[in-house]
Amino acid sequence: MACIFGLICLISFDPTESQELASYEKLFSVIDLLTRGTFIVFGAVLLARFIIEEYRTKSISVLFTYPISRKKLMIAKLIVVFSFTFLSIVLAELVVGLLMLAVNHSREFIHEKLTMDIVGRQALAILMNALAASFMSLIPLFFGMRKYSTSATVVASILIVFVVCGSTNDFSLNSIVAVPITLSWIGAIIAYASFRNIERKDII
Amino acid sequence: MTYVLQTHRLSKAFKGKESVSEVSMRVKKGEIYGFLGPNGAGKTTIMKMLTNLVKPTSGEIELFGEKLTPTSYALLGRIGSIIEYPIFYDKLTARDNLELHCEYMGYYNKKAIDEALELVQLRGIDGKPVKDFSLGMKQRLGIARAIATKPELLILDEPINGLDPIGIKEIRQLLHILSQEYGISILISSHLLAEIEQVADTIGVINHGRLIKEVSLEQVRVTNAEYIEFETNDCVKAAYVLSHHLGISNVRVIGGRTIRVYDLSTPLPQLNKTLIMNDVAVEAIHQKNSSLEEYFLGLLNGGEQSA
Repeated sequence: MACIFGLICLISFDPTESQELASYEKLFSVIDLLTRGTFIVFGAVLLARFIIEEYRTKSISVLFTYPISRKKLMIAKLIVVFSFTFLSIVLAELVVGLLMLAVNHSREFIHEKLTMDIVGRQALAILMNALAASFMSLIPLFFGMRKYSTSATVVASILIVFVVCGSTNDFSLNSIVAVPITLSWIGAIIAYASFRNIERKDII
Repeated sequence: MTYVLQTHRLSKAFKGKESVSEVSMRVKKGEIYGFLGPNGAGKTTIMKMLTNLVKPTSGEIELFGEKLTPTSYALLGRIGSIIEYPIFYDKLTARDNLELHCEYMGYYNKKAIDEALELVQLRGIDGKPVKDFSLGMKQRLGIARAIATKPELLILDEPINGLDPIGIKEIRQLLHILSQEYGISILISSHLLAEIEQVADTIGVINHGRLIKEVSLEQVRVTNAEYIEFETNDCVKAAYVLSHHLGISNVRVIGGRTIRVYDLSTPLPQLNKTLIMNDVAVEAIHQKNSSLEEYFLGLLNGGEQSA
């Protein structure tokens, strides 16, 4: 989080770039971009630790001999990864946003007035984006499970980050609503597929 | 006679190739059942099917009188197992791993962990993460984990793998205690025939995925009883002498020179004397016990090459 804050400060204080962050909307979208990018990768790391690694070291075979439904175990793991990602994104964006506002108070580089309207819209945008990003962070599960590889999981998440968080001149793929929605659905479907038939699968 | 475990024509095929075919085995309550078979015979696969890790292609499994389905979780809580190598969470200590295990199994007796560690003689391991354990220590910890919750059925896949001779002896004693004092039924697979011979009550021989024979060790001992073996170059005459003068017909000729007499009604000195007095040149004679090894190898080689 400190890194993100530092990065944003850097961008906003550079005089030639100061045109970029002249509005609250632009400021928040930059925060949003960086935060989501970081935590999608974070989510993939969690997936790798909680699920992929258990399969790789075969400790999952010990886990499945316990008298607890396999579906419950998998769903619990997925919920942990999802909630952690979601909460981290929201919290990080809040904290960095507040810090930036504090800085803005003293340095005044954004010359708009902060209205409740803007805050409200931004809050909604943050939540929606965080939700979408959390689902998207489950997509690497598919890639990791093929060869039970933790590195494949993380690499996949980095690729996803490039897709949704790259932006040039105020335009990013994320602004086409269809893109995050489709990717979130794909993430949700992949997560569902991972526990749908787990009762009947063999663990070799 | 209650059976704690029964399978009925259990089969498993991987990619079209059958690795377990029509195995019907039964384990009685409170007994130690030894699984014998060469490498690749299908023992581990069967054990995995018993713990629901692998689903059978056909056939049924009945545990504790109830049918095992992909969702029968309550039954799994009554089984303790080691399949192949015991796996742990390597960064945690032994105690943490065992505590996790007890939590998952719903077993809340705090002293059970200490008891289990004591029973497998695993000492001086506090504070050491499992990744620093030697193979023998991991194996002992695996056994400790399997027995910690005092399950009704123990499924052990080669539990003495990697143990030193003292360890092997300790585990043998442990298995006896568990079976006799706690009434735990044990299914154990091993390659070490000598070990199985000393602990098991019943043995099941598996080869190429088929259960060739399931027989109690008592019966094996009876059929493979002691015998007197002697060497002579005239086997025909010796056999004649044995049947006419001593009334012994339960003999077997091995090779061209060795005869085994399974009927022990005549003591060895008298046998020797009779043979010699009838001009049978006896070159060597002694009393022997047929071992499980010969029985086992005989079963495997009866019609099939081992894998």
